[in-house]
Amino acid sequence: MIQFLNPLLLGGLAAVSAPIVIHLLHRRKVKQVDWGAMRFLLELLAQRRRRLFLDEFLLLLIRALLVACVALVMTRPAWFRPSAPGGLARQGGAAVVLLVDDSLSTSAGRAQTAFEAMRKLALSYVRSLARGDEVSLLLMSQLGTPPGDPIFDLEGLKARLGELKPTSAATDIPSLVDAGLAQLKRHVNPAAELVILTDGRNDGWHSDDKVRWDGVRERLRGPKDAMPGGRTRPRVIVLAPEATPPDDNLAVTEVGADRTLVSAGHPASLRVVVRHFGNQGAREVEVKLAVNGEVVGSHRISVPPGGQAVAVFEHTFDTPGSYGLEASLADNADALPADDRRAVSVQVEQSVPVLLVDGGAASGLAGKLGFFAAALDPGSGGKGPFQVTRVSLAQFNPAMLADCRVVVFGDLPVLDPAAVEAVGRFVVGGGGVLVGLGPASDAALINRYWARDGEGFLPCALGQPVAPRVPATPAGLRPGHPIFGAFGAAGDEAWKEARVRSYYKLETREARAGEIETLLTLDNGDPLIVERRRGLGLVVLDATSLGPDWTDLPLQAAYVPLMRGIAGRLGSFVMPPRNLRPGEPILYAAAKDTAASITATDSSGRPLKLTPGSWEGRDAVASEPLTEPGVYTLRDPRLASPIRFAVASAPAESALDPITDREAVDLFGGPAVLFHTPERIAAGLDPARRGSAETWRWLLAAAVGLLFLETLVTRRESAARS
Amino acid sequence: MTHLQQVQQEVIERLGNLSVTARQAVESVLAGQHRSVRRGLSVEFAGHREYQPGDDLRHLDWLVFARSDRYDIRQYEEETKLRALVILDASGSMGYGAVTGTKFQYAQALAAALGFLMIRQGDAVGLAACDTAIREFILPAGTMAHFLNLLAALERTVPGGDTHLAPVISEVGGRIPRRGLVILISDTFDDPDRLLESIQYLRYRKQEVRVFQVLDRQELSFPFRGMMEFVGLESEPRLKLDGDRVREHYRRVFEEHQKRLQAGCHACGVRLDTCWTDEELVHVLTRALNWQ
Repeated sequence: MIQFLNPLLLGGLAAVSAPIVIHLLHRRKVKQVDWGAMRFLLELLAQRRRRLFLDEFLLLLIRALLVACVALVMTRPAWFRPSAPGGLARQGGAAVVLLVDDSLSTSAGRAQTAFEAMRKLALSYVRSLARGDEVSLLLMSQLGTPPGDPIFDLEGLKARLGELKPTSAATDIPSLVDAGLAQLKRHVNPAAELVILTDGRNDGWHSDDKVRWDGVRERLRGPKDAMPGGRTRPRVIVLAPEATPPDDNLAVTEVGADRTLVSAGHPASLRVVVRHFGNQGAREVEVKLAVNGEVVGSHRISVPPGGQAVAVFEHTFDTPGSYGLEASLADNADALPADDRRAVSVQVEQSVPVLLVDGGAASGLAGKLGFFAAALDPGSGGKGPFQVTRVSLAQFNPAMLADCRVVVFGDLPVLDPAAVEAVGRFVVGGGGVLVGLGPASDAALINRYWARDGEGFLPCALGQPVAPRVPATPAGLRPGHPIFGAFGAAGDEAWKEARVRSYYKLETREARAGEIETLLTLDNGDPLIVERRRGLGLVVLDATSLGPDWTDLPLQAAYVPLMRGIAGRLGSFVMPPRNLRPGEPILYAAAKDTAASITATDSSGRPLKLTPGSWEGRDAVASEPLTEPGVYTLRDPRLASPIRFAVASAPAESALDPITDREAVDLFGGPAVLFHTPERIAAGLDPARRGSAETWRWLLAAAVGLLFLETLVTRRESAARS
Repeated sequence: MTHLQQVQQEVIERLGNLSVTARQAVESVLAGQHRSVRRGLSVEFAGHREYQPGDDLRHLDWLVFARSDRYDIRQYEEETKLRALVILDASGSMGYGAVTGTKFQYAQALAAALGFLMIRQGDAVGLAACDTAIREFILPAGTMAHFLNLLAALERTVPGGDTHLAPVISEVGGRIPRRGLVILISDTFDDPDRLLESIQYLRYRKQEVRVFQVLDRQELSFPFRGMMEFVGLESEPRLKLDGDRVREHYRRVFEEHQKRLQAGCHACGVRLDTCWTDEELVHVLTRALNWQ
């Protein structure tokens, strides 16, 4: 069976018509001559008509075949011998993309880590390759970086495999497969193999994400007429060590404060969540917490099998600034030591100045933001983390924005254009804005000046006002989002009694829909609270009123923590992010002239290389991708205290449950082949059992032969003519 | 002055006193040299023959006409001169000419020159112009008035029609009862076997035969390059051929034809003289008349 590796060049076969067209054009250019000795022409035709026709046809055929051969050579036809079902005989030169899962979990293991076992499988696989096979090596930890060209140096590849180490990256097999498919396009050999080298841990396969896997399967199938084993429908080979029963593994899965805004001088509860991923009984472990490298506390906790325990540390941050928290498990000998530590960066503020612009009266519980003001500053003394200034729309002056971190609009009918422009600049420069709606809001004006088809500061445009016959209930919060941190596991329960009588339907599927994050939805599915990053700042939009005009939420217990959570997030929101995943770089917005004076070090004090770049259209400095978990410190001479960044691996890496062979094969929806041992690889992928190969060499030889023949025939004719 | 008259003038000037000589089959020679065994217009009655256009009405036997309503000519033994009949091929192929005029023009001039020379020395010359059939036929006579008629007939004739010389020659052979000289001026683009058969027939009829094959140089060299459409001058189909590709084969066929013709003529004792349209006419005449 023939497959064209450069099918786009099949159009070149049209060039076959060139000799025929030239021949026909030549025949059309006929001069007429009166001729007396016709009897001799007729006589020679009677004798040699067939020979003359054959000579002419032969030359035409040779030339057309010559062109066809050259055109076919360009398309790189490859001949495939159909292999037996499930067979692994390779067809011609192999184009291999070796996808290595070097995630955190691959460092698990006691006598031998999973990564060592994977390395042996990889080396065994490489030994099954033959000279001329080309290999690309893609690492899970380097998916964000541009891949290199395929290499033919198998010995070099073995050396490279010997140097590989597990990283702190998170496993994402679907992304790895997609990257492999993209890399295959850079290969030239016909027999394509996507080789997934993994520790076989279940979590990284994301097998419950059917949408993603449907897409992966479709891309693996390639076009309808794709040849199995070709570059558009590659063979999938999974190399995974033998599955072992889940081992004991304790991991720090979460570190952080119990609120979005941590203020200096006030005690904060710092939570460390420890999860037990094993099933061999409860484990006692000592949890230590360090702030900026200094241990501030230690707790001994008992963690049940398959469950988690929380160690809470009370700590008061004396001064505002950026802090690095790092929790660790002491004396914990488990299968995966790498997840026994976790770091997080926390921004501590002295207090957040919040400006409330009230669409109604700006005092007491009256007006549109009375309840909101009370939630943030119950005593109105400004001693809490929020310093609230409340003004009416008439009193609002854009110059007030200079003195606040957060501004809240409560049911404003309109803002003058200068104020709208000032709010836009405020957000882009790092400010936080909360917009609440209500009966006074003019959707047309708000859409026109605040939303501006996604270009304004409002996250999205407003649709029609909705007043459901049965009031809607908030439901479906976004789990894990900081503004819901205070609700803990009882998030959904907190809204049970709340009713929303009216709200605006938010057009979250319009322009810039990808940037909008829905934080809370109503029970009818309509979004209630959404947020959108804009420059260095953040804007939150509440589809209903912040006061009791359209909802009784201000009368519910959940109102205060929710509003404080929102205001705290808006007040402590830091962009670019300081809590990073392995593989992400430090990004810090800084003017070009100051970039050279900014320095950064890792957790061991080793300096990092910073390069000037840009982020969201602003000047910035960027580091190399950070691979090691821990706290990184950046010093800007303009700031009194350093800024701390934290790199933490995905908590899911700590779950070591293996995926079953059947599940893994089914996910690919085709004849994926699994190998668990080097011996099976050696037996199943014997390099001596090569099938067919590319045919371009034969075609090229045929073309040369035809050229030689054409020369002979032409010379013979030339001799006859002369 | 017509073309033929120009030719005559040229021939007269350049041929001077060249004489026509006969060969063994012609017993008579110019007046006073030999006694003819042929019947002719003499005082000694030898018999009758049927009247043919060109015969002198004075020799019509009116008694026979009165008795049998037939036009018979009285024939006498006399001292005869050479009686020659020029058979001029007027087929379409003779109309070809690439450089110095057509083959037919050349043949016309040749026929006129030969006729003039023979008339001038007192011999009798006749003409048969033909293609698939006889288009002009004038019995041999020796007067200048007759020659002028002959010239007029030559001028009237234009090439056209297919070449089927063999039956025509046979027919002409039947019309000339006396032994004499038959001069065939043609490109001989006919089936050589049939043509030679008809010449053989003339020889059987005791005729001395001389063939002047008139050809154009291009008919030998076939100089055409690239794709050409050959349009026949007779009724042949048009042919699209690559001149370069067929040249070799054409030459081979042409040479084969020539060889067969030459061999056939040689076998039956007939002189074949190939003359080219770019060849000086005087050279042809000199070559022909000096031939022994």
